[in-house]
Amino acid sequence: MEQETTQVKEISQEIEKRRPRILMVDDESDLELLVRQRLRRRIRSGDYEFLFASNGQEALEVLKENPDIRLVLSDINMPVMDGLTLLSQLESADPDICAVIISAYGDMGNIRTAMNRGAFDFVTKPIDFNDLQITIDKTLRHIDMIQQALSSRDRLVSLKQELSVAKNVQMSVLPPVPSPNPYYDLHAQMTPAREIGGDFFDYFEVDEFHLGLVIADVSGKGVPAALFTLVSRALLKSAACNHDSPSRCLSDVNELLSQQNDSLMFVTLFYGVLDLRNGNLLYCNGGHNPPMVVRTADNTTSALPTTENMALGIVADHKFNEKLLVLEPGDSLFFFTDGITESSDNTDEEFGESRLEKVLTNQPHENMASMVDSVLKALSNFTVGMEPFDDVTCLALRWNQAKPEK
Amino acid sequence: MSEQNQLSVATESHDKAMILRPEGRIDGSNASTLDSAIQEQFEGGNAVLVFDFSNLNYISSAGLRILLVAARDAQSKGGKSVFCGLSTQIAEIFSVSGFDKILTIHPGLPEALDAV
Repeated sequence: MEQETTQVKEISQEIEKRRPRILMVDDESDLELLVRQRLRRRIRSGDYEFLFASNGQEALEVLKENPDIRLVLSDINMPVMDGLTLLSQLESADPDICAVIISAYGDMGNIRTAMNRGAFDFVTKPIDFNDLQITIDKTLRHIDMIQQALSSRDRLVSLKQELSVAKNVQMSVLPPVPSPNPYYDLHAQMTPAREIGGDFFDYFEVDEFHLGLVIADVSGKGVPAALFTLVSRALLKSAACNHDSPSRCLSDVNELLSQQNDSLMFVTLFYGVLDLRNGNLLYCNGGHNPPMVVRTADNTTSALPTTENMALGIVADHKFNEKLLVLEPGDSLFFFTDGITESSDNTDEEFGESRLEKVLTNQPHENMASMVDSVLKALSNFTVGMEPFDDVTCLALRWNQAKPEK
Repeated sequence: MSEQNQLSVATESHDKAMILRPEGRIDGSNASTLDSAIQEQFEGGNAVLVFDFSNLNYISSAGLRILLVAARDAQSKGGKSVFCGLSTQIAEIFSVSGFDKILTIHPGLPEALDAV
């Protein structure tokens, strides 16, 4: 927002800096001299600059060569092309130009026609230079306001487009729904907050028997966060192709993200590799909320033990550790971001880990889609009416049975 | 909504350090308020900062980033930054993200002031 205001300020300063140029169209040759003399103070102090043309045709040529002219003062009765014809041509040449008509008071019929054709104002002949000056100043102020409004509108439109592009990118990089299979069930959902955030999840088959699982949250919001998200996700996926060890992967990604990271953006990232043959989950947690494991045997839920690691992108040589969790058939994992646990109700109380544990444990979940559903439902019942501050992202996975080695 | 987004930063000068007391919530929408309060201290030549979080209810990742930058900048100016008065919830955010490993945290203000 601050950036936007400065930009608008810069644009308007630029407009102010530019000396307005005014085109005067009249076939009376002595008018130029008169104007230069009577308005000399304002011309000398740089308030505006005058150009002259002796008929409508000439005026159009001058305007063609000087597209910055925004104000035209024009007589009506002139040879070659009269003022009324000029007015109708102006409309199609450049609709942003403001025209002020100069004509004899007795010529009210033509003046009315000119006003109906879009003239902004008129002054009468013989010219009262005091009145002319006031009319010029008033018209220039009007032009200025229109220009400022237009440039703010253009900035706003492009900002909005930028934001929607980033939001689309954030949603479009999410992985496709996995095909149904007897070994595992997986369901993930992300609901971005009004302003784009930096959550993402990912899952991919590292090989035939290994499933990579990722959940992450980038610091801050907006376009920079969205870009950092894309980079982190791509780096992790490429590291996962090269190394089996999750800690080695996080170490690589961390080192790359930490290089020249002057703004100290960071990403909390959990990466686990599930061996579909035996339910072994090898994982490394870089500063992310620990996922929950729901044990089917005794229907208990607990957080995965920490690997004592920090978020990625800050300390290049941070040493990453990994841990092993063994799943039994039917056990589930629930990955989430702080958009769930730190959402608060109208008394500022947070949803928290214990409520999450309760939802995960209390009812049996037929499949992972229904597990995700009941968490999101519990969350929306808790936060009733409060607008979410943060992206709400979660991923649920159940290991059903061992995938046999043929 | 607006009430939750409120953040004010009180400052108090101490003989060894400048104490900053953010009050309310720090999130993406108001992290710049904290940033300006910190920059103001740096511009005034104060590079030894004590952050007292006794009146802070919540800090998001955007706020954490501002603190990391402040800690780095204070150090590069020959000063330092310490943190104290963390509620259980905020202490947990620091420990989950791992920032308790790189930021200096003390239980209360007296200990923090002793340390600078």
